[in-house]
Amino acid sequence: MLASVLTEFPILSLLLWLPFAGTLLCLLLRHSALACRWLALLTTLSVLLLTVWLFACLPTESGWLLKEDYAWIPTFGIRYSLALDGISLLLVCLTALLQVAAVLISWKQKEHTALFYALVLVLETGIIGVFLATDLFLFYLFWELMLIPMLFLIGVWGHGNRVYAALKFFFFTLAGSLCLLLAIISLYLIHGEQTGIYSFAFESLLQTQLSSGMEMLLYLGFLLAFIVKVPLFPFHTWLPDAHTEAPAAGSVDLAGLLLKTGIYGLIRFAFPLFPNAAQQSLPVLAVLGLIGIFYAAWIAYVQTDIKRVVAYSSVAHMGFVILGLAAWNQLAWEGSLLLMVNHGVTTGGLFILIAMLQDRTGSRDLRVLGGMWKTLPFFSAFFLLFCLASLGLPGLSNFAGEILVLLGTFSRWPLLAALAAAGVVFSAAYMLRVVQGVLWGPLGQICKIGDKDCLHEDLDRREWLLMIPLGLLVIWLGLYPAPVLEPMRGPISLLLKAGGLP
Amino acid sequence: MSALELQSLLPQIILALGATTVLMLGAWYPSRKWILGGVVIALFAALSAGLMTPAVPEVGNLYSTGSYARFFVVLWSLLGALSLLLSLRYAEIHDLPGSEYCALILFAICGMSLLSAATSLIGLFLGLEAFTLVFYILIAFKREDSRGAEAGLKYLVMGAVATGFLAFGISLIYAASGSFHLPEAFAGLEQAGGMRPLGLAGWALMLVAIGFKVSLAPFHLWTPDVYQGAPAPVTGLLATGSKGAVFASLVPLFAALGPLKADLEQVLWLLAALSLLAGTFAALPQRNLKRMLAYSSVVHMGYLMIGLLVGGSEAHRALLFYLISYAFATLAAFGVLTSFSRVDDEPQEYADFRGLGYLHPRRSSLLAACLLSLAGIPPLVGFFAKFGIIAAALKGGYPGLAVIAVLAALTSLYYYLAPIVVLFMQQRDARQLRRGCRHEYFVLALCFSAILLLGVYPAPLLDLLTGILP
Repeated sequence: MLASVLTEFPILSLLLWLPFAGTLLCLLLRHSALACRWLALLTTLSVLLLTVWLFACLPTESGWLLKEDYAWIPTFGIRYSLALDGISLLLVCLTALLQVAAVLISWKQKEHTALFYALVLVLETGIIGVFLATDLFLFYLFWELMLIPMLFLIGVWGHGNRVYAALKFFFFTLAGSLCLLLAIISLYLIHGEQTGIYSFAFESLLQTQLSSGMEMLLYLGFLLAFIVKVPLFPFHTWLPDAHTEAPAAGSVDLAGLLLKTGIYGLIRFAFPLFPNAAQQSLPVLAVLGLIGIFYAAWIAYVQTDIKRVVAYSSVAHMGFVILGLAAWNQLAWEGSLLLMVNHGVTTGGLFILIAMLQDRTGSRDLRVLGGMWKTLPFFSAFFLLFCLASLGLPGLSNFAGEILVLLGTFSRWPLLAALAAAGVVFSAAYMLRVVQGVLWGPLGQICKIGDKDCLHEDLDRREWLLMIPLGLLVIWLGLYPAPVLEPMRGPISLLLKAGGLP
Repeated sequence: MSALELQSLLPQIILALGATTVLMLGAWYPSRKWILGGVVIALFAALSAGLMTPAVPEVGNLYSTGSYARFFVVLWSLLGALSLLLSLRYAEIHDLPGSEYCALILFAICGMSLLSAATSLIGLFLGLEAFTLVFYILIAFKREDSRGAEAGLKYLVMGAVATGFLAFGISLIYAASGSFHLPEAFAGLEQAGGMRPLGLAGWALMLVAIGFKVSLAPFHLWTPDVYQGAPAPVTGLLATGSKGAVFASLVPLFAALGPLKADLEQVLWLLAALSLLAGTFAALPQRNLKRMLAYSSVVHMGYLMIGLLVGGSEAHRALLFYLISYAFATLAAFGVLTSFSRVDDEPQEYADFRGLGYLHPRRSSLLAACLLSLAGIPPLVGFFAKFGIIAAALKGGYPGLAVIAVLAALTSLYYYLAPIVVLFMQQRDARQLRRGCRHEYFVLALCFSAILLLGVYPAPLLDLLTGILP
């Protein structure tokens, strides 16, 4: 019964287009902010329920769990083909979860409410599309579709220097994307000339025979697009600006989801399509990842804006993820993907908490804040929990991922793994500095004891509702990550084998 | 001319006679309602071109009546009808004489339709001059507007020079090959022996004229001034129809070119690359929407040149698809400008648009969509069009041009995003502009659905284009 529903009903399309339908409805109901808000919540919640249901029902096999495939533009051999495996399932779940959080955290959004939620929902369609598409043209379409809503989210509702940050984000990612486009078209043409069948289908393109020079060139095109998005060390400069200036929902989506699309692109498309070039690039990736860990930690340590600290911590965590991928073994990859999910939850949570803090105090400056534990105990408890999770405290989520990455990397590059382990200490340094500056110490300069402005409300019902699931998730993922690792195991071993390693 | 030939050329005859009738009747019954009459005539011409089977394949060795030609009659008639609808309120506000305006636009459509159908160099010349002459008048149609007069004069002087080049080039080709009719003229050029250099010189002169008409760099300098000075709906037609018709006539011309193309290849390469680069760099600092669109149109012409240079049915299909996508997006952009314009001025400086996105959300969003489509952002049609051209360039063995095209596309985002940033991401201090009216909304909605639907599902149009290509 269930199996027949799953195979016959186009459930992936439903998942993909449900948020888009929400967008259209939002634009129709644009005169009522209240309706849009509830509509957005309802849509994201139903997507979440759908994905959780899929997560619970689908078997943990290694191949594709669900597939859809229709002809779309036959002249160019472009198909509308979606597929879901364990990895994409997890990432879609993460997307659905964080999107609900993004809607809830922007509940009090007053300016242009309808447009805001419409963009958040379009963004969800774009991200889910990236995780599901298996036709490269379709994938590119969704890849670009993520850009415009994010541009507007940052540019319209952002803080301070928002237009600059929005354009910087846009141009960095677009420059990478266009390299990707060139590479995709070249691959498509080469494949077409070899076989006579012009197709963008991932599975056909896998069969393409490439000379080693051409393979490297095309791989670099793919790589550039993905590592700009990740972002890996020398290409990370757009990230702190974008994260800092974005509104809360934008930061959550950027850190929690958009960065993941880069990693996903690497493991789903770049590595399998160009296995030999990928093998050659691994040491470079590993070293860049390692540099990223330390460089980001170093910069994060001197920031005074807490959002910027968290933004740089993202760069460091992504460095870990890339390092794990570069180690190219089951253990490290499991760690990397787990860390990716964990990072989405913890960093998403941190950005949400920072938004709450800014709501109350009007500041994110470490020099001004302080003593929150006295005035906002519940908020501070959550803040502490997420900071500790982010710095990799054993028992909380990030630790599980990081330790797997380190173990996996050690078996290939003991020296790099040993160095990276020291990076954990660095991350403790800057995160604890944030904890100290925000939660402890005397009350910050902006308020004196007894000052009326200083009596902020602690968490309200909506915020409790938002934080409890995320907090539980952080603990659960730290203590018992097996349910998340289980569905990834099969697909990872397939991906590693397809990469052509012994 | 036999009755059969007249029947075959019926769409163009409807346009020409309709224009004359409107002009004559308008002298006795001056009214702006004639513009609506013009819409009906244009639609009638489109219908007759779409539904009727012509009796003879070619009229007088001048104009083809094949499916390719008829497709463009339909397209230009529709574009003309849309811009007439757009002009309805505009003419009222700016007090333009209705019947003359309408008749001129119909004549222009007729000229474009003839040009896209041309099968001989004479036919090409006649069609081109037919609508260029009309545009001399239309650009300066607002008599009291000094900018319009400047633009009209500029277009006139430059256009007259280009016409001279064209006529001289055609005569040289004729001298070398002994024929005006297209395939024979080129075949004759191949066998011309000692006369061949003369023919090539003729080609070079023709390219100059063509470069002027479609504003390829380095012949593009008239474009921004004319765009800025002309009334917005006229600019819309000038930017889409007049340039598009020239490209539509060039496609069969280049398909018939044969081995001669090798001689022209380097020149075409240079024209394409130069247009992409010059247009891009000139568009970057613009703070006036019309001027920006003018320079960006130079870039788009560079993309179209790539399609022409690569040749073959796939590249030509990509070119036509690009042309159509460009036409709809550009017409809609000028349509938005038209619908914003008030009695005293036409808003076109970026400062006029500050924060307008929340004052006039629908039209501002449409303008943004047009700009994004022109920039090639999916899922709008411009992306698929650029994809087609770049794929054709790579397949045809021009990776250098493909890279330049991609870089131009990346840089273009800067100047296309600038107005969007002004519209949506700046504090609202713009004055309320004119409220739109129903006709305008209808046209804009139509263009928007074309931009979106063709972007999401281009397969039917691609099949159609494959079918009509010669």
